Amino acid sequence: MKKLFSAFLLAFISLSCLAQSAAKESLPATPSASHSLSYYVTISFAAVVFILFIVVLITLTRVLNLLMRQLEKQRAEAAGKTYVPQLSWWAKLTQQLNDAVPVEQEGTIEMGHDYDGIRELDNHLPPWWKWFFYITIVWGAIYLVVYHLTDSLPLMHQEYDTEVAQAKTAQQKLAALQPAAAALDESTLVYSPDAIIIGRGKEVFAKNACGSCHGNDGGGNSIGPNLTDPYWLHGGGIKNVFHTIKDGVVEKGMPAWGKAMSITDVRDVAFFVLSLEGTKPANPKAPQGELYKSETKAEKK
Amino acid sequence: MELQKFYYDNKIVKAFYIATVVFGLVGMLVGLTAAIQLFYPIFNFNLQYTTFGRIRPLHTNAIIFAFVGNAIFGAVYYSLQRLLKTRMFSDLLSWVHFWGWQLIILAAAITLPLGFTTSKEYAELEWPIDIAITIVWVIFGINMIGTILRRRERHMYVAIWFYLATFVTVAVLHIVNSFEIPVTFFKSYSWYAGVQDALVQWWYGHNAVAFFLTTPFLGMMYYYLPKAANRPVYSYKLSIIHFWSLIFIYIWAGPHHLLYTSLPDWAQSLGTVFSIMLIAPSWGGALNGLMTLRGAWDRVREDPVLKFIVVAITAYSMAVLEGPLLSLKNVNAITHFTDWIVAHVHLGALGWNGFLVFAVLYWTIPRMWNTTLYSKKMANAHFWLGTLGIIFYALPMYVSGLTQSLMWKEFNADGFLVYKNFLETTVAILPLHMLRAIGGSLYLTGFILMTYNLIKTAYAGKFIANEEAQAAPLAKEYVATSGGWHYRVLENKPILFTVLSLVAILIGGIVEMVPTFLIKSNVPTISSVKPYSPLELHGRDIYIREGCVGCHTQMVRPFRSETERYGEYSKAGEFVYDHPFLWGSKRTGPDLARVGGKYSNSWHYNHLLAPDAVSTGSIMPSYPWLFEQTINLDLTAGKINALRKIGVPYAENYEATANEDLKKQATEITSSLKADGIETPSDAEIVAVIAYLQRLGKDIKAEKVAEQP
Repeated sequence: MKKLFSAFLLAFISLSCLAQSAAKESLPATPSASHSLSYYVTISFAAVVFILFIVVLITLTRVLNLLMRQLEKQRAEAAGKTYVPQLSWWAKLTQQLNDAVPVEQEGTIEMGHDYDGIRELDNHLPPWWKWFFYITIVWGAIYLVVYHLTDSLPLMHQEYDTEVAQAKTAQQKLAALQPAAAALDESTLVYSPDAIIIGRGKEVFAKNACGSCHGNDGGGNSIGPNLTDPYWLHGGGIKNVFHTIKDGVVEKGMPAWGKAMSITDVRDVAFFVLSLEGTKPANPKAPQGELYKSETKAEKK
Repeated sequence: MELQKFYYDNKIVKAFYIATVVFGLVGMLVGLTAAIQLFYPIFNFNLQYTTFGRIRPLHTNAIIFAFVGNAIFGAVYYSLQRLLKTRMFSDLLSWVHFWGWQLIILAAAITLPLGFTTSKEYAELEWPIDIAITIVWVIFGINMIGTILRRRERHMYVAIWFYLATFVTVAVLHIVNSFEIPVTFFKSYSWYAGVQDALVQWWYGHNAVAFFLTTPFLGMMYYYLPKAANRPVYSYKLSIIHFWSLIFIYIWAGPHHLLYTSLPDWAQSLGTVFSIMLIAPSWGGALNGLMTLRGAWDRVREDPVLKFIVVAITAYSMAVLEGPLLSLKNVNAITHFTDWIVAHVHLGALGWNGFLVFAVLYWTIPRMWNTTLYSKKMANAHFWLGTLGIIFYALPMYVSGLTQSLMWKEFNADGFLVYKNFLETTVAILPLHMLRAIGGSLYLTGFILMTYNLIKTAYAGKFIANEEAQAAPLAKEYVATSGGWHYRVLENKPILFTVLSLVAILIGGIVEMVPTFLIKSNVPTISSVKPYSPLELHGRDIYIREGCVGCHTQMVRPFRSETERYGEYSKAGEFVYDHPFLWGSKRTGPDLARVGGKYSNSWHYNHLLAPDAVSTGSIMPSYPWLFEQTINLDLTAGKINALRKIGVPYAENYEATANEDLKKQATEITSSLKADGIETPSDAEIVAVIAYLQRLGKDIKAEKVAEQP
């Protein structure tokens, strides 16, 4: 029973490890991150099969052990010896680790206490437990010394500074590799109805929930303005729209997206927004801001 | 010596056990409702009284204080009498204790859905109820210690040590954490602010787990396990060592709930190291329990009571290893604020507490009714349903916690967050939330089966209200026998024992709290941080009332993934006027510490009215009542006065003019909403909530502006 129990425990632990690694691996593979129910059902099914496999394995081992023991017993009888079952390595190990007085001899360590029929034995503290306790105490002392007396390891704010500095270096390296993207800014940007860029922009628009303020079809709602009409609060045309998306209008609730996405993504979504002009949203919001025509029209040609 | 005849009081035990079962059912049903709301938000029926924020504390309080609480009292009253060979000290006190506790539960069941809450986890009940708890708890203590003083057994068994430690520690925890200044009969502000409030709260919260869910249960294990297995306790030495080390070390570990927050580093480190040192003392109890079963493992297969106990102890051993591992900085960085913690606590609650209570009930009820269990088969079915329930609950939550955390932290090659939109990470784990609800339902089904089984058992037998027993009285002279110094010196001196346990549990708390309160460098001040305006204060109180803190944290941790998503990490000085602190412990929704100015007023208006319409797929409930209910201006002055008394620097006589400021700020918001085509009365609660949300994180931005020129 005890064996079965530890096996069950083992299965439980490895099962959770399995589930975890599965979750980890699946993440980059599914950037949309919508883990479907079938994904989890499959994982659960695999887990159940795994448990069953372990159970079968254990049962087989036990049967094998039993047969072996019977065989040994027969041999011993045939040889005319009394059969003494050998202690398994596990039994020997636990005996050593726990240093327990065997059940048969427990009368020798009875405390003589009797509380409503409950008696108490005076077994030693299990050596493994005792040493484990000592080790954790020593570990605790070392931890405090390392972090607070010798300052050998970074505390949380130092850790943070290092993390940010590393990211910054990585970003600079990346920018150096992509001069074209780095050069993107509103002064030189020109709109063209490039279907590929607009398609990517549409994804950016959806993924970042721009629709929560501007409507999923760009028609606006009581939060944000309509993006399909030629009226603009902060200027129309690719240069202004790109600028508004990149730096935001923070006091009015428009975030500075340039801080949260790559400059190419900003360009893509700006292109997508411009491509919306003239489309027919379901519930268009009344125009806000000033009519803007010249540049957009010219560019669109 | 002549034997004396006396009677054990079973009637009080029966009352506590009936309450245990009834509140277990209620608490789990509320839990299941909350679980369903997390993937199907309309399951609150659009009522304010059943929204997640209000019923989550109802669930936790019902399970901890009603279900587990009544079970503890029942088990203590049953075992204490028998271990000391005497009836309870006073029947009157027993019944005052019983009815007092049930009235407190009733008060909680009424006030929590109404939104009367302090917002401090597991200490949500408002100040009049806090006082009632203190009184009833002291009555319990007097009754218990009185019984010990009238004992016929010279020495106290290990179970009683744990009961005594439970009594003194819970009293200290409850009183210190409940220091609050009343505003009205159902509204108060925590005495402590910000970082200090957080430290006190998690010293309390962590040790509520230790001294309400652990030590009394170890005491129960020490009585019921050897009784049910009919085996001697494995090691008396181990009992002594693990008892003292457990209660001494446990109290220090509270700050592990606040790793990577604005709590000073030294306090965080103490939380970590003491958590690791706690593994062995915790395992000591489990070890002593499991080793006691040596020579009885064949019976574990047959006896449902032993089966429940074994799984309970196993769940305990796993949870007390997992907890310290979660206190390691690198693990905590991943798991904190996620579903992992939900899995962890439920492994403890469903496995350790639930299963041990079931074992106790299955063992005691047939004995008190002088019969045998109605159906062993049904008890076995309950065992398997419960075990499956735990697995189906915990595994999906582990996966869910890890999935969400990895998504929060994932950067793309350009150095930007892959999942900028928090909602994506919420939607990804909804299927796992569904699986969790299935796990919970399985567990609840088992519980219902047990209820039926126990009722049938009781009907089949005859209740023994007063159980006859005999024992010799204590001799006047104490003749010291062997049994070790602990036995001779301490175990026959209940008062000394209680005082020593009190000393043991006070040390950790004092070392951590006193410096945090007295040394200024622990909470560096930020000059731009100002008290809340009256309107924001009303908004904050509504935020507290609605239990927003149940799903939204206000603590940006110092990780790049968090500062990219939310803004600058939180500083200790930002919270100096936060009575109570609202850091939260779980991010079902995004952090709000820096939400001020991030969205427009109209965004918040629309979002609170219909979250799903603004953020498609959101599982946040809608709050239509905020648009109908109005702010109570009569309370403004009382709030200002109360806060000034505990150190918030409102100018003298400000309460007289506060409402003018309030109206001015409200009009600013309503006119900004009007510009977006939204008409709303300026005294609607939503205006106050918007004012509060727009304030969050603004102070520190103001400092930046001031520094620049």
